[in-house]
Amino acid sequence: MFSIIKAAVGGLTALCRVNGHQQGLLHGHLKVLAAGLKTRDIPPDHSDVVLPDRRKLKFVNKMPNFKNAKKEMKNLKDIQGPATTANAFTKGEFAIVAMGGGYLHWGHIEMIRLTINRKMDPKTTFARWRVNGPYKPVTRKGLGMRMGGGKGAIDQYVTPVRYGRFIVEVGGKVELGEIQRIMTEVAQKLPFKAEVFSRASLAAFQKKHADMEQNNQNPWTFKEITLGNMLGIRKVLSPKDLCHNGRFAGKFHLPWRV
Amino acid sequence: MAATLCRILLPKQGWLPFTQCVRHGSKAVTRHKRPLHFLKQKLMSVTRYIPPPRPAPPGAYPRQTIRDQEDDPFTLLVKKNLKSVFQESKMIAVVQNSGSTADEMILLKYKLHKHGITVKFFPNQVVRSFLKDSTYSNMAPLFIGHTVLFISKEPKVKEMLSSLRTSRHMLLLGACIDNTLLSAQGVVSYSKLPSVAVVQGELVSGLTLLTSQTAAMLQRHPAQLSALLQQHVKQQSSEGAPKA
Repeated sequence: MFSIIKAAVGGLTALCRVNGHQQGLLHGHLKVLAAGLKTRDIPPDHSDVVLPDRRKLKFVNKMPNFKNAKKEMKNLKDIQGPATTANAFTKGEFAIVAMGGGYLHWGHIEMIRLTINRKMDPKTTFARWRVNGPYKPVTRKGLGMRMGGGKGAIDQYVTPVRYGRFIVEVGGKVELGEIQRIMTEVAQKLPFKAEVFSRASLAAFQKKHADMEQNNQNPWTFKEITLGNMLGIRKVLSPKDLCHNGRFAGKFHLPWRV
Repeated sequence: MAATLCRILLPKQGWLPFTQCVRHGSKAVTRHKRPLHFLKQKLMSVTRYIPPPRPAPPGAYPRQTIRDQEDDPFTLLVKKNLKSVFQESKMIAVVQNSGSTADEMILLKYKLHKHGITVKFFPNQVVRSFLKDSTYSNMAPLFIGHTVLFISKEPKVKEMLSSLRTSRHMLLLGACIDNTLLSAQGVVSYSKLPSVAVVQGELVSGLTLLTSQTAAMLQRHPAQLSALLQQHVKQQSSEGAPKA
């Protein structure tokens, strides 16, 4: 009986060798597999998520509807410092958050809108703008003009964005892994540093900074020295340094500063 | 760059210096990182973040023992199987499998099945935790790496060794035969032992050696017996004379 089995097995393995790599079910050259332990995670339950009617990002105008457009001063302090509005989650689960200051013009907004609308699945996800359409006029003089002759004409409109501001919020019956790729693609094209966060990861990020402040071993803090104007250091500092405590330099955020 | 001094009228609240030196260079917000005043650089370095000291590098000390977790249902099932295996079988051999293919496995299984030996696979983690609680705790060091269990009701060691000799990838590590733990060499010497009946016969014959010899002598011709006894007396006297 054994010899018959041996012949059968031998014949089958010969068949396999003859077919080369197009082997069917036998795979005699592979090693023996034994049953092992594998625990699988339970997938998340999205049954309580309500999706809005309009799920894609709305079209944003290039300029506001002004009858008489007025030129404005440069006012660069709308880029400086941390954001106080639109810096928390509302309805969505994931967001692109600005990690520095900058101006978003219509080209950036269109890029975000088109990329996200094209790549997301409207059956399961929705996206919301957290940033206004361009409203700040930016002037430019013609090419090759000499200095003087008044302020230039309005060239375009931009939206100022501060550190910590949300740009786009995404939510729905999705997990981070599905959405992250699309959103990092968008985040890398923005004119300032931006990162993709989920609710949990943003909370962890903020907690990390709070812990850094707590367990800082340095007895000297920027705040203490500037508040007390020790050594007359405020001669070389700006009034904004009192608010920002050395964490910001112009429009840049310094993450290693506590 | 001309240095201009600006006198600014300040409100009575707040403490700000009356004169501020403003150089006309770049503005506060620039695309590049503005070069810091040397004093500000010093201030930033003095007030840098110093993290708390780490207790020990991550790999310095051995990890504490992992606390006992509750077994999941699959582990419990496997442990039940193991318990029945250890109760029913007399021979449990642990063999290391270094990459045998599926057809080699099939051949080996058929060879052993003829002699009533089954080949079993169990996860090492589960086996070790099972052995920890049972009387066979000294077998735990055998279950490291890719192991296979050969189980049989009767200790058929010779057949098992012959089939292992022919297989290229199987290496015997140890065995538990009749509740005694044996190493690989121990198993080989066990296989060379004669069977139980033979040993019993030898023992019996050894015990009854003298009585059987006397019985044989008595059965022979009495003349031979008398000759033997005379010889024996002569020998005794000859031994007695040189001693004295």
